[in-house]
Amino acid sequence: MSLEAATTASGFMPAHASTAIFGLPSVWLAIAILLAVYAVIMMEKFNRAVLSLLGAGIMILCGVLNQEQAIAGVDFNTIGLLTGMMVIVAISQKTGMFQYVAIRAAKLVKGDPWGVLVMLSVVTALFSAFLDNVTTVLLIAPVTLLITDALDVKPYPFLFSEILASNIGGTATLIGDPPNIMIGSQAGLTFYDFLVNLAPIIPLIMLTTMACIWVIFRRDIHASREARELIMEFNERDALKNIPLLKKSLSVLGMVLIGFTTAHELHLEPASIAMFGAALLLLLQTWSCDLEEKNHAFEGVMAEVEWTTIFFFVGLFIIVTGAEHTGIIAFLADKMLELTKGDFNATVAAVLWTSAIASAVIDNIPFVATMIPMIHDMAPTFGGAEAIRPLWWALALGACLGGNGSLIGASANLIVAGFAQRAGHPISFFTFIKHAFLLMILSIVIAQIYISLRYL
Amino acid sequence: MFAERIMTTNIATCSPDQPVHEVIDIMTEKRLHTLPVIDADGILLGSLNTLSVLNRIVPEYIVTGDLKAVPYAPDFGLLRKHYLALNNSKTTVAEVMERHPTTVHANESLLSVTAALITYDRFEFVIVIDDASKMLGIISSNDILRALHDQFPLEIETV
Repeated sequence: MSLEAATTASGFMPAHASTAIFGLPSVWLAIAILLAVYAVIMMEKFNRAVLSLLGAGIMILCGVLNQEQAIAGVDFNTIGLLTGMMVIVAISQKTGMFQYVAIRAAKLVKGDPWGVLVMLSVVTALFSAFLDNVTTVLLIAPVTLLITDALDVKPYPFLFSEILASNIGGTATLIGDPPNIMIGSQAGLTFYDFLVNLAPIIPLIMLTTMACIWVIFRRDIHASREARELIMEFNERDALKNIPLLKKSLSVLGMVLIGFTTAHELHLEPASIAMFGAALLLLLQTWSCDLEEKNHAFEGVMAEVEWTTIFFFVGLFIIVTGAEHTGIIAFLADKMLELTKGDFNATVAAVLWTSAIASAVIDNIPFVATMIPMIHDMAPTFGGAEAIRPLWWALALGACLGGNGSLIGASANLIVAGFAQRAGHPISFFTFIKHAFLLMILSIVIAQIYISLRYL
Repeated sequence: MFAERIMTTNIATCSPDQPVHEVIDIMTEKRLHTLPVIDADGILLGSLNTLSVLNRIVPEYIVTGDLKAVPYAPDFGLLRKHYLALNNSKTTVAEVMERHPTTVHANESLLSVTAALITYDRFEFVIVIDDASKMLGIISSNDILRALHDQFPLEIETV
């Protein structure tokens, strides 16, 4: 079946849209915009938010979508959850609690370099599970440079381990990694669903990864007694700069997490909880200041929100909605089912492995944004929304863990590489991929076994 | 009032291939904040400032601003390590020096010298050079204030 025939036959052609724009059928135009935007994003020469908004604009100007449909295509649950969490983190990080935890962890193991590596990785994984990965590494990587400097060891094994840990930890929860936020929101899966279905396998993946890291780097990490004593001289309590704000931040963070776990019963969406928490913390952080200080603090927090990511999402949702309207997504879903001969187990494996490999090479956010409607389209074949749940877990595991496959696999990886470069210890693309790709494949093998045993 | 009339000429200098630790000795002993770096012919090549030396001792991740505040780090520990590393290395003045210090010409007016200090207020000093870039002397912000103070001692009250 040809693409045009497929789109007409599947009835996906929206009634309002002209079938030909500038003499081109809208389906080809949508494909061209989608591919062009993804390709230019990969070149890393332009801001990705600008590219996705531009692509979205072209979709509308060319009549693939009208503005109303475009706005309806934006998943504000994802946008709200991301923005709310970014605000909460922007305020909480000012308390120094992340540095406190990192130094405390290093001292708990008496500055033993291996212990420090494991502790910092576990801390990274835990923070990544509940905060954005990028935020986590932004906070942990600089302290790691300080700790490894004091220990007089090369920072690379530590940073390498933290990159992997952030992506592994982020896989565990609904809010850990942007792909999960999108999947949860658009597939109607709750925080609790993620916790029950994804989190159980994460400790095993983490443990296996740490064991491999030990094998790879065990000869490179030694610290003298003096260096270890220097670590013990750190006074982590001095990192806590603002105790009242710390109390407020921890209370709001706690409330938000409880809110996420109970959201479903309360008939609330995660975005409402995150945005309410953000507004509450914005109010509390400057409770007793005058209006000018309040305004100043508010603007400071707003400046720290990663608007690039937010607007990237907005544009991307519109582009993918445009592609959906022309029927190409349904066509791709059909093609995938043809390849797997409609076998559910084969389809789960295909989603898992394709997501993993693709996410290692391209940004996993646009990839997942495209995959979600595809998987929705497969639901009727496999007997409805409930039946295809394993496909969502395969997509989440593949897309999040796949980010570990190369230095460009996830934004967090690039952030750490940036820190390392500026500190005079650059991480090359090839050094990283040499170990990381195999470790990523290993984690996907574990994920495949887990899904097979539990769901298939 | 020209730059050359208030500049200090009898000043310590260093050469680009000198090891940094030798210069640190001179700077600390004489409590100097800046040393002009000159070649064998007296041509100005740059300046070695206490801040550029400290820049080398403070870890990179702090210089770049990636780690902003470290109130929890032990006193001296890391600084000592990097300081000893710099002292024991063969790092030369040329590697550490500021390559574009603020300079003025010998015949520049005092206003112009003050303007140079204020406009490029990275350092408390300007270095005075001639047309061939030969180093002639140095003027600190304090020199200018002192020149004014000495020149016009009680004028305000007599007016």
